[in-house]
Parts: sequence; C-alpha cells; structure tokens
Amino acid sequence: MRLRRPGDPQEFEVELNSRDGATLRVRIDGREIEARAQPLADGSTILTFDGRRIRVIASRRRDSIIVSAGPASFEFLPVAERRAGAARSLVTPEISAPMPGKVLKVLVREGDRVDSGQPLLVMEAMKMETTLYAEGAGVVKRIAVAAGDAVEHGAILIELSPVSDPPAPGSGSRDS
Amino acid sequence: MNRIRKLLVANRGEIALRIIRSARTLGIETVAIYSDADAGASYLAAADETCRIGPPEAASSYLNSEAIIAAARAVKADAVHPGYGFLSERPAFAHAVVEGGMIFVGPSAASMAVLGDKVAARRLAIQSGVPVVPGIDAADPASARAFAGEVGFPILIKAAAGGGGRGMRVVEADRDLDGALEAAAREAQAAFGDGRLFIEKYLARPRHVEVQMLGDQYGKLVALGERDCSIQRRHQKIIEESPAPGLDDAMRTRMAQAALTLFRAAAYINAGTAEFLVDGANFYFLEANARLQVEHPVTEMRFGCDLVAAQLRIAAGEPIADPPAPRGHAIECRIYAEDAERSFQPVAGRVLYLNLPAGPGVRIDTHLAPGLEISTWYDGMLGKLVCWGADRAEARERLVDALSEFSILGVRHTASFLRDVIASKGFREATLSTRFLGEFFDGWRPDQADITAGLIACAIAAEGGFGAEYQLAARSSNAPAAARSPWEQLSRFELWSRR
Repeated sequence: MRLRRPGDPQEFEVELNSRDGATLRVRIDGREIEARAQPLADGSTILTFDGRRIRVIASRRRDSIIVSAGPASFEFLPVAERRAGAARSLVTPEISAPMPGKVLKVLVREGDRVDSGQPLLVMEAMKMETTLYAEGAGVVKRIAVAAGDAVEHGAILIELSPVSDPPAPGSGSRDS
Repeated sequence: MNRIRKLLVANRGEIALRIIRSARTLGIETVAIYSDADAGASYLAAADETCRIGPPEAASSYLNSEAIIAAARAVKADAVHPGYGFLSERPAFAHAVVEGGMIFVGPSAASMAVLGDKVAARRLAIQSGVPVVPGIDAADPASARAFAGEVGFPILIKAAAGGGGRGMRVVEADRDLDGALEAAAREAQAAFGDGRLFIEKYLARPRHVEVQMLGDQYGKLVALGERDCSIQRRHQKIIEESPAPGLDDAMRTRMAQAALTLFRAAAYINAGTAEFLVDGANFYFLEANARLQVEHPVTEMRFGCDLVAAQLRIAAGEPIADPPAPRGHAIECRIYAEDAERSFQPVAGRVLYLNLPAGPGVRIDTHLAPGLEISTWYDGMLGKLVCWGADRAEARERLVDALSEFSILGVRHTASFLRDVIASKGFREATLSTRFLGEFFDGWRPDQADITAGLIACAIAAEGGFGAEYQLAARSSNAPAAARSPWEQLSRFELWSRR
C-alpha cells in the first residue's frame, strides 16, 4: 500500500512481505526491513529493527491509520493509484480547513485572480487566528464558506482553478 | 484550616485535578464544574462533587461568571479557586466571589486590576523604578507609526488584557501594520472581551525569565526563585526551567528585588508572577500574572513546596513562612494536542491508548485517561511533564527519558518534538532565547526511525494486527463515515461494517 501523512507530499510504499511468528519482513520504499514484533498485554507491540526498539500501537479508522510510535504520533492516509495520463496541471487545488474551527473572514471573491502568498481566508480555532494563503497563482473558482461558518477539519473552503499557464497553483497555510 | 471547608474549582482539565489534589491534602472538600464537552472526563472523579455549568462554549461555561458563582452558592462552597486562564485574571470575577460571601483564592480584585492589566502594570513598574521595554500605551495606526519611526521595526503589538500570545503580533514592516493592528484587536476582543492594545519595541534575542511571588494577608511577600521560559512557540511557553541557566547571582537578586518592589506597590496577596525579558546584562519588566501559572510545578520541584496548598492557606488567613532553600534543577515541558510540523495547529481526537512515564524525579500533571475526548473547544494542553535532577544535566536526561516513555494513540501530540528539542545541542548548551524554536527547529520533521516504526505499525494494522478493541474504539469516536473507504477493499475483517 501507498501511504502519506496529511499535509505532507512525501509518499511511502509499504508492503508486509511475510510474517513468521514474531519476525516481520516489511518492504518500505524498496528497502527490506526485518523487524521483531513482541505484542504486549495492553495491545501495544514492541518493534525491534535497525538496532532500535520502539513501542507501537495503531488503529485503522475509516480512511486513515493512526499510529503511536514511541512518543511520536502519526496519521497515515492511503494514496489512491494515479490514473494514467492524468495531467497534474489540471488538478483543481482546494483550500481546506487545516483544523476544526470558525471562518472569520473571507478575503477574496469568486472570480478573483490571486497571486502566490496572497491571504485568502482567516480562520479561528481555540481563539488563535490562522490565515490561509495561496501557494501559487490562480483564480478563485468557488468559495464554499462564509464568515461565521463553523468548519470541520479538512472541509473544503475555497477552490482555485489554475491560471491558463503553469505552474499549477497549490494551497497551504502558515501562521499569521 | 478552618476557614475553607469546601472549595469550588472554577476550571477544567489538568489544573482542576491539580487543585483538587492539593485541597484534599488540606482536608478541604472539593467541587468540580464541567461543561457538556467535559461531562465524561475521568478527572471529575477526583472531586467530592461535580456540577454542570453549561454548554461547551467557554463563554457559556468556564467563562460564565454568573453560572459559576450560582453553582458555588448552590453547593455551599466557601471558597473559589480560578486556576489559570478562563476567569483567573478577571477582577470582576474575583469581586463577585467575595460579594457572594466566599473567599477568592488569589489576589484582591484591586491588585489584579493593577497587575493583570498590562498597560496599568507597565505604568506601575515605571512609577516604581522597575525597568520596562520601550513602548507606548496607544495603538492607533498613527501613534504606532510614530513609535516605529523612533525605535525602528520590528515592533510588537500586544493585548492589554492578554496572555498566552493571543492578540499579539510582530510587525516587521510598515505595510503589515494596519492589518496586524486589526487582527490583534479582533483576537484580543474574542479571547478576552477587551480589544485594547499597546505597543513595544521588539527585542532581537531576549530570554524570558520570571520570578515566582507569594504574599500573605499580613504584608509578607517572598520571591521563590526564577524560571526561564524562553522556549516558546506562537509566543506561548512550552519548556520552562529553574534556575535560569547562566544567570549570575547579582542579576537574580536584582530581578527578585524588582519583582518584590512591584508586587509590594500593588499590595499583592497570594501567588503571582513577575515576568521579565532578559537582554544581555539588562532586564525589562514584561508583565505580571496575577494568578497561579501553568509552569508552577518547576518551582515546586525545586523548592519542595506545594504552591496550590500555599495559596489555599494564604486565602484562609495563614501567614507564610520563609521559603525553604532551593535544591537542584527542574525542567518542565508542556505536551499539546498539536501538529508540530504544521505551525502547531490544534488537533482533536480521543485517547484510545495511553502510556505515561514515571520514576525518580519524574512528575506528570495531566488529566489524560483512556477514552478522554480531546476537543478544540479549549486549550489543547494534554499535560505537563516535569523532571527534577541534582543538576541541569540530570534533570534534562530524565526528561528526555520520560518523554520517550510517553505515548498516546488517538490524539496527535508534541511529545516527540519536545524530546528532540530537549535532547538537542542548543538546549543542552542552554543557548536560550525566545527565538530558539524559530532558529533551530523551523521545519522540524519527525525522527526517521519513528516514521519507519509507524509505517511498520501500519502494515500490521492493515492486517488487523492490533486487536479488535482498538479498531472499534477508534470507529466509535470517529467523525461521520465517509461514503467510501479505501480500507474496505484492504480489510480482511468485517469490523468496519458493524456500528
């Protein structure tokens, strides 16, 4: 399976090749790792590999796997197989909510042309404001929310369409 | 202790639990309040009584002064402890508690009004001869521009009623000024119900060092050492330690004297903190916190005292003794439900699995328990891990070790980030400044071995390897199901189709 973490473009190819008692052979991005797995009574497992010993526990959710690995905590999402011939530049970038919260201000209008780094929307969560910016140039195709709306994590807020020429716009957030 | 028999704790989470525990050691009955979001939280079991005060929104629950005072009267509490945050620094609340015939465990409303208001506290510091960062009380665009013209950008906009970085903005250049003033006022209004701002010169690489104060009703005021709280993200402290590394004794004494002068001028009673910025050999008064602080355990570990118990005793009219001599070194880190890779954005979830560290010199203050729902209604602090050692090196090593033992499934958190920070060369060598994280940990990525372990765990989980209870637990806490799940094709078990 192919996995990535939310908000991170890096993808990992993970295959469990064999399981022989406590010994697992896992292939990660082409590298075979032999790991010893020692399940514990509390549901966690001690993994020993590459000279490291890390206690892990994971749970599948509807569309992701959440993992605790030592003091680290991750969420991994499956990556759908890319359709052959799908042109990257035609992908519609969506600005989605990086956290649950409230929309404070929408700073653009449908049809607006936006430049890289332009603030698009201000959100509030836990009384902190976060501004979402355009990472590339584009045209505001659709605004799905209005000021005052409560939004869930991952809700689509704004859709951008590419300006006729590449590069394709993307979206992202940074703290204001 | 005969004057306080029953204490209502006007807070939630770890600090509510912390206060309840100290009250119990003094034989005081406790009442915990809760909003609907916290109705099932395990820590409520520690109180003798619990009382619902409203819906999840803080404005209708933990910030609802009238509902809390009505609850305190209904349960016949004779004292109210506000904790930190929420109503803890609202003079009107302290006043209303006293008007209701109860003891407010904290300073008088009048002291709070002077010290808790940043503009008033700054004015008092100037009058008392305590050095302050150059700044102005006004925050209209014209005054701000004139001030920036004098001291140069960057300048710092702050909320008069603020705390925790809310309503605070660094302005690097003139073009950002108007937007920043507007956003800071809006944020301050939303967070504190008070949109007033003031402006200060922005220091390049200051350290944040604060002095713990304790005063009784008979005019005795003592300083219990300092804490270095320079490691901050979004202007909020995440690592604190005592003593402040590398500070010379003369400076320490001068800071304690400045704090004593200021708190005496405010006729301060109970626990409070004077915060300073240290810039080379200079220090400037930053603000005062007229309440117990989040990081108080650092001082407790070093002085071997219980500050909450001291607060309750002071409130009950007992005199304070001279503080014991401090020993060793203590370091605390705050673990948050946040994404350290993405601007520390808050995350939500439910605790499905929990492993907490313990051991010699290790203390954890937390309300975490299996099943606890972490929402984004409130501050996302999951707990504070504090380690004591005979010296800084021992405290630091214990903290790295303790963090390695900390794990939660179900809520992403910052423990591995904190471990990497505390284990780093910069922290080991104590090159502390409030810019530390921006300078050394911008673009931080998780440890590769942790990611690999996580991926192996995914491979095991995809095979259904971690036991059915975690799958079901995860499912019941999950958001409404998406129409199609990619896992359904992978799944060998049919747990997914059950509800």
